[in-house]
Amino acid sequence: MRSYRLRRIAGRFGLYLSVLALISPALLVFLWMISLSLKTEIDNMDYPPVFIPHPPTLDNFAQVFARNDFLTYTKNSVIVSFSATALALLVGVPAGYGIAKARATRAAMLILIARMTPGLSYLIPLFLLFQWLSLTGTLVPIVITHLVITVPIVVWVMIGFFEGLPAELEEAALTDGATIWQAFRHVALPLARPGVTVALILSFIFSWNNFIFAVVLAGRETRTLPVAVYNVLTFEQISWGPLAAAALCVTAPVLLLTLVMQKEIVAGLTAGGVKGG
Amino acid sequence: MSVQTEPTPRLALNDISCVFGTTTAVDRLSLAIRPGEFVSLLGPSGCGKTTTLRMIAGFIKPSAGTITMDGSVISAPGSSLPPERRQMSMIFQSYAIWPNMTVAENVAFGLRLRRMDRDTINRKVAEMLDTVQLASLAQRYPAELSGGQQQRVALARAMVIQPRVLLLDEPLSNLDANLREEMRFEIRRLHDAFHFTTVYVTHDQGEAMVTSDRIAVMNRGRIEQVDAPYTLYTRPKTRFVATFIGRTNLLEGECLGERIVFDGFSLPRARFEAVEGRALFSLRPQSIALHRAAAPDLVAGTLVERAYLGESWDYVVRPEGGSVLLKVTATPVEIFEVGESVWLEVDPAQMAQISEEGEGALPPRPPPNPLRALRATAMPLKPLLK
Repeated sequence: MRSYRLRRIAGRFGLYLSVLALISPALLVFLWMISLSLKTEIDNMDYPPVFIPHPPTLDNFAQVFARNDFLTYTKNSVIVSFSATALALLVGVPAGYGIAKARATRAAMLILIARMTPGLSYLIPLFLLFQWLSLTGTLVPIVITHLVITVPIVVWVMIGFFEGLPAELEEAALTDGATIWQAFRHVALPLARPGVTVALILSFIFSWNNFIFAVVLAGRETRTLPVAVYNVLTFEQISWGPLAAAALCVTAPVLLLTLVMQKEIVAGLTAGGVKGG
Repeated sequence: MSVQTEPTPRLALNDISCVFGTTTAVDRLSLAIRPGEFVSLLGPSGCGKTTTLRMIAGFIKPSAGTITMDGSVISAPGSSLPPERRQMSMIFQSYAIWPNMTVAENVAFGLRLRRMDRDTINRKVAEMLDTVQLASLAQRYPAELSGGQQQRVALARAMVIQPRVLLLDEPLSNLDANLREEMRFEIRRLHDAFHFTTVYVTHDQGEAMVTSDRIAVMNRGRIEQVDAPYTLYTRPKTRFVATFIGRTNLLEGECLGERIVFDGFSLPRARFEAVEGRALFSLRPQSIALHRAAAPDLVAGTLVERAYLGESWDYVVRPEGGSVLLKVTATPVEIFEVGESVWLEVDPAQMAQISEEGEGALPPRPPPNPLRALRATAMPLKPLLK
C-alpha cells in the first residue's frame, strides 16, 4: 500500500519535472522579457546579468507610450483584428456548415492549402494590386489579407462542430417546413455556439499576432502593433527595456485571452473528433 | 405492377427504385396510401424501408419511378420537391428534438415558420401539449425530459403543423419494453383522434400490428404483401411473410382428390379446392389443438419437445409415420409430457397457401421475355422445386 502511494507520488513528481523541462525555454524567455521591461537601462546592460529588478521601474513603459504613437497602432490592430475576425465568422461559419453537410472535403482541403501557402508568395502581387486600386495606406488591404489567416481557422473549427451535430436535427427542421437557411439559423447555429466562440478567439489571436502581411502592406500610419514593435527594434536597437515593454504590451491581451479561455479553446479544438451520443 | 385503383391516393409510390452504387436498396416498389390511412413498412433491417421513407420525405431522390401526393408528382429521378415544401413531418428514432429550445419552442417552431400570429401559435401549442400530456413541462428543455417524454414532444411537434403525411422512422426503438408497448397504443390513439395519413417504419411486427390499418411487408427492397394486420397474419401469401410475421409451420403438401396429403398425415381440402398438385402451406402453431383421445379426423403424433413460456406452452409434435416436426402452441392449463402420444386437431381452413416469392416480386433485370411473364400470370402457383 505504502509502496504504491510512494510510486504514485514519484510518478507525479516526474511528470511535473518533465513538464517544467519542456516549457522552461518558453517560460524563461518570457520571464526574461518581463525582467528587462522592469529594469533600468543600466541594469539591463550589467554583467553578470541581473534577473530581479532592483528596484523595479515603469520608466520603459512610459517611454514606449511617450515616444511612439502606440495609441494609433493599438487602434489599427484592434480594427484589423476585429474586422478580420468578424468577416471571417460571417463567411466562414456558413461555409463550414456547407462543407460539413455536403461532405465537401476537397473544398476544405483547398482552403487549407490556401492557408499553408507562404504569405510571401502572393504578397508582392497583392501589394501591386492594392497599389493599383489605390488602397495602400489604408487598413483595407491589411484586413483583406488577414482573412487568409482567419477564414481557414473559422472554417476548419466549424466543420468539426457541424459534423458533430446529428443530421436528424436539421432533417426534422426541414420536414417541419424550414428552408436550409432557416435550419442553419435556428437549429445548427445555436447548437454550434461553443464552436463559434472558439473560432472567434482563435482567429482573433492569429490575426492579432500576424506580422508579415502588415509589415509589407502597412504604411507609417497603418502599422499594427507587431510591426510597431519591430520598428522599435530597428531604430533603437540597444534600448532593450522599451523594446521588452512594447512587446509585453502587444502580447498581453492575447495572452490574457488565451489564459482565460483555454478550457473553451481546448474543447473546441477537440470537438467533432470523437463524440458520443 | 399495378397501383391500386383508388380515387387519388394521398401518397402513391409508382415503381420507385433507389440504387446506391451497386446495391439496390429499393427495387421497383409500388404502394398507394389513402388519405387518413395508417400504413406500416415492416421488414428486417436492410430491407429498404427507411430508404423508402426518406424518399417519401424528400431526403433521397428515387433512381427510377415517381412519388405523387394528391395526384401531383413530388419525387422523380430528375427533379424532386425539397423536403421543406412537402408539408410533411417526420419523427426520428433519435427523436431529434432541438436541445436549444424548450418543449414549447420545439412544438411552436413549425408554426412560427408558417408566420402564424403569436396568439394562434400559443393556443395551438397548448392544445397539442395537452393532447400528448406534456402541458406541465412546456418550459422544460429536452435534456430535462425522460425518453418517453421526448418522444411525446417529437409527436407533438410533428402533429401540430397538420402535416399532409406523417412519417415515423422506428420511433419507439429507443424506449424500454413497457414504455414501447404503451406508446404503440398512444400512437394509435393519436391517429384515431387526428386521422393524419401516416407512414410508419418499423422492424417490430407487434408495433405494426397494433398501430396500422395496413402493413406492407418488405424484403430485399420489395413489398412482399400489403394487407390489414389480420389478413396478413391469417393469410400470408409468401414464405417470407409467413415466417416473418409470427411463427409458423411451413408444410409441403400434394392435393389429391378430396384431401391434401402431407408427410405423415392428410387433411380435408376445405377451401383449397382449386389447388392442383404440390403446394406450400403455412399453418400457425395456434391453429393446432392437442388432444389425449382419438377422434375422427385427428392426426396421431408423438410429443418431441416442449417449452413453457408462461402465457402458453410451446410443443413440438411429430405426426406418426412422418418426419416433419409441427410447432404447436397450447394454453398453459393443460400439460402434456414429452414422449406422450397425442392427437392433433388441425383446422385446414386456417391454413394459408403460400408461394416462394412475393406477389410484388418481379423477374430479375433485365426485363424477362414476354413468354415467361405470360406463364407467370397464367399459373398462380410457381413450381416449388426447381
